[in-house]
Amino acid sequence: MIDWAICAVKQAEPHETVSGGQSTLMSENWVLKEEEAVELLALLITSARIQMEEPAHYGPLRLLTATERLSAMIVERASEKSRAFLQENVDRIPDMHMAMSDGEAYIAALDERCRAVAACLLRHSCPPEEE
Amino acid sequence: MMSEAVLNNIKTRRVVRAMTDEPVAREQIEAILEAARWAPSGGNLRPNRYIVIQDAATRRLIRLVSPGMFQQAPVLILICTNWDVVAEHNVPPTDRALLIDIGTAAQTMLLAAQALGLASGPVTSYSKEAVKIILNLPASYSPEMFICIGHKAEIVQTGMRAWKKISWRDLTHWERFK
Ligand SMILES: Cc1cc2nc3c(=O)[nH]c(=O)nc-3n(C[C@H](O)[C@H](O)[C@H](O)COP(=O)(O)O)c2cc1C
Repeated sequence: MIDWAICAVKQAEPHETVSGGQSTLMSENWVLKEEEAVELLALLITSARIQMEEPAHYGPLRLLTATERLSAMIVERASEKSRAFLQENVDRIPDMHMAMSDGEAYIAALDERCRAVAACLLRHSCPPEEE
Repeated sequence: MMSEAVLNNIKTRRVVRAMTDEPVAREQIEAILEAARWAPSGGNLRPNRYIVIQDAATRRLIRLVSPGMFQQAPVLILICTNWDVVAEHNVPPTDRALLIDIGTAAQTMLLAAQALGLASGPVTSYSKEAVKIILNLPASYSPEMFICIGHKAEIVQTGMRAWKKISWRDLTHWERFK
């Protein structure tokens, strides 16, 4: 069930997205510096390469490492709406790795983060409150 | 008593993935490198070469191209294979002794670090091509494994839980298979 109550949060000005050219309501705040973006890019490209020779279950580990690093880079500059999500969900990713050998617990923990990120997206994209 | 200390050292060594930035003394680094010199080597060829990296900027760059390097270690020792030595002795490049040599050197360094009260961890999840560029490695050197050395940070360890509890008995067969 979608929690529409979170739509009550007032939004920033809309802007065009690069992907579909559609108007979204995500804040226009810059949260990533060029240096940080390049660092993340290095992590992603090298992860893609080493994954060719590593066990398949390392794939999620690399993506989560990138998630953690991205979160650490943006958390201070992110809006309140994103920050809560980052602090409650991404900060706890290192504990999740410990559960990697327990497939079901790992999937459950990933599902929990997926629900949380969906809720975060909704908070960002709900239309502004009627005046 | 001595043998007990050695066995305890082997049993209590664990990979450390969170380290402080406290530097490691030069004599301790040298003691670890000297220990590696005494590791067994196939044919006593000693094809491994060690590169010690302490410079903060270089360590940072290496970590950026090493997704499996979780620690920010003050010292990195890169174990390389020197292919000139391999060719000189007509060893086929596919000879598995070359990989085993990396393993004996790595374990010897990890145990030496443990004996010195230092934290350590091996890393093979990095881009070889990127590391070659960052360190400007000669063409005859291939980067095989990093040994991260430092002091353990007092935070909860990130790491992999064992897939299942195993004892040495689970890993051992005696005599012949029936
Ligand atoms: C060949 C080899 C490669 C490894 N590569 C990495 C690595 O890239 N990153 C890492 O954090 N640990 C790495 N490790 C450490 C293992 O994950 C670790 O030894 C294992 O989980 C058992 O933990 P323990 O040594 O603390 O008992 C590697 C170990 C070996 C032997």
